[in-house]
Amino acid sequence: MDFRVIAGVTATGLIVFSGTALAQPAPEQIRRGADVYERNCSPCHGARMQDPQGAFDLRKFPRDERDRFVVSVTKGKNQMPPWGGLLKPEDIEALWSYVISAESIYGH
Amino acid sequence: MKRFAMASVLCLAMNAHAQTLDELKNDGALNDAYRSDNVLTYGMGYHQQRYSPLTQINAKTIKRLVPVWNLSLDNNWGEQAQPIVYNGVMYVTNARHTVAIDVGTGKQIWRHTLDWPAETPRVVCCGVSNKGAALYNGRVYRTTLDAHVLALDAKTGKEVWKSKAAEWQEGYSLTLAPLVANGVLITGISGAEYGIRGFIDGWDTETGKHLWRRHTIPARGEKGNDTWPQDNNAWEIGGGSAWITGSYDPQLDLMYWGVGNPAPWASQSRAGDNLYTSSVLALRPKTGEIVWHYQFTPNDAYDYDACWELILGELRVNGKMRKVAMQLNRNGFLYVLDRATGELISAKAYEKVNWASSVDPKTGRPVETEIAKSIRDMKATEHWPSTRGAKNWQHAAFNPKTGLLYANTMHEGRMYKHLETKPFERGQRYMYIENLPMQRAAGEPVGHIEAIDPLTAEKKWRVPLTDFQIWSAMLASGDLLFTGKHTGEFIALDAATGKQLWQFQTGSGVNAMPVTYTYKGKQYVTVLSGIGGLYWNTNREALKDKVAPGGSVWTFALLPE
Repeated sequence: MDFRVIAGVTATGLIVFSGTALAQPAPEQIRRGADVYERNCSPCHGARMQDPQGAFDLRKFPRDERDRFVVSVTKGKNQMPPWGGLLKPEDIEALWSYVISAESIYGH
Repeated sequence: MKRFAMASVLCLAMNAHAQTLDELKNDGALNDAYRSDNVLTYGMGYHQQRYSPLTQINAKTIKRLVPVWNLSLDNNWGEQAQPIVYNGVMYVTNARHTVAIDVGTGKQIWRHTLDWPAETPRVVCCGVSNKGAALYNGRVYRTTLDAHVLALDAKTGKEVWKSKAAEWQEGYSLTLAPLVANGVLITGISGAEYGIRGFIDGWDTETGKHLWRRHTIPARGEKGNDTWPQDNNAWEIGGGSAWITGSYDPQLDLMYWGVGNPAPWASQSRAGDNLYTSSVLALRPKTGEIVWHYQFTPNDAYDYDACWELILGELRVNGKMRKVAMQLNRNGFLYVLDRATGELISAKAYEKVNWASSVDPKTGRPVETEIAKSIRDMKATEHWPSTRGAKNWQHAAFNPKTGLLYANTMHEGRMYKHLETKPFERGQRYMYIENLPMQRAAGEPVGHIEAIDPLTAEKKWRVPLTDFQIWSAMLASGDLLFTGKHTGEFIALDAATGKQLWQFQTGSGVNAMPVTYTYKGKQYVTVLSGIGGLYWNTNREALKDKVAPGGSVWTFALLPE
């Protein structure tokens, strides 16, 4: 994970998704989400969200469905167990920040 | 019909208690006491050869092999277990259920259902599954996902005792089939991806009382702890699972348990050989005493877990018959060890290996290459075999008549990189690697079905697989081999040539362990179908439009001529 890339991208300010202006998460928020992701999520969803052969491709998760993301992670979905007992709500928020920043970080 | 079923149940009740240690010893033994009606041990014999001398179903008659019954297992998590068969009753497990089935009719006799917290799969790295039961003295023993060991009454399925091995919240889980050796019930543990300290346990079969624990990582002051850093606590969170049932030699009274990878996978925090990770331990079943050990991959930086089958057999080595233990290790080398002493007899590469050039016959240690150095230097490196291994848990078979191993192997390299290790958090992943796919040459196989000479690793024949790898165990049955595919096919091959002779499309993917046995003089073959396990975990997206989950038991026999 190269956080210089994150910092560079996030310095550009707002990113527009589906016509809705969303505030780009702060770099430290994305970094926290990347840490949670690397430890707990990458084994199934793929390192840096690449190679998601084992589970949903998070690069395709709709950017305007934050609530669905949070509920799925917290309570579990399909083969994914619930993470609400382990991750704090702030961790899951940070994960969301990381997921919606994938395109700007990795260019995919 | 109802009266007949009742009579069958009564008959079962009378026979159920007869199951003894002698019967366990003779299971799969090619002697007069062998009874082909039964499959009593994991691996179809303490030797784990997965070989049957039965010949009714053979290369000539296989065209008449048809399904005779199918029973749903009401489970979408995947089926990996080997059935156990005793006196006309089959015992099958998955992560949810233990089921007793009438072999003659396929009817369910009883079903015991487990529950575990919905969060438990967080600490199960490689598939929510169970690999089977052990049977002894009228009881069915199994392990649970949330790290308990359970005894059920073989007649009724009622719980007799339940003992906790460890806390699942700390990363411990259990999926393996227990082993009963010299009257002691033995289990291992899973969780090296979560920084556990692994162990093998002995239990009292009658009461569930804990008899002994052998940690796979020695404590401070114990022999072997000096292979871990002395200035940090890496040894306390160093992995070393034991997630596949050990084999057992009753004459030597030694069990052979493979030990898993160290934690974390990235190796910078744990300088040293890290005993007894990625090793085999020869243990006494009564006490857990380590009689000898052999480490396949010192300071394993590659997840070269050594848990799976150590196949016991006899091989002619330099003109002399030797009692050996054989393993197609994940690291790409095929090891043959003297099973009385642990002496290395042979270690030859059986797949593409680039992390080591050979195994030094004098020291028994792999000779690491520049590739290994690059990985240890934390550079993204093309690595063969990948962390999933040249073979994973899909157990091989050994035919003592041909002296050959039959295996489903893997041909896979990946771009592998160690990441900086972060502080350990109990119950969370502790790996710190990236493992990405790399470009493959067009037409390059992803794996093979093959017949291998144990001492030379030469292939007698090799069938390339171009779509999906095979993660089912092999069954060597007379002149045939049986195995199954993730796309649902249960297949039979000619063991002499590898030519496929027969297939049947089951209802889901096959990633389990076929067995063969007789009932009322007729030979049967049984396999579980139900996609699951690590390969599904890592290929779910590619497989989801081809095959659906759903567990069931399939049993086959010959149609009359």
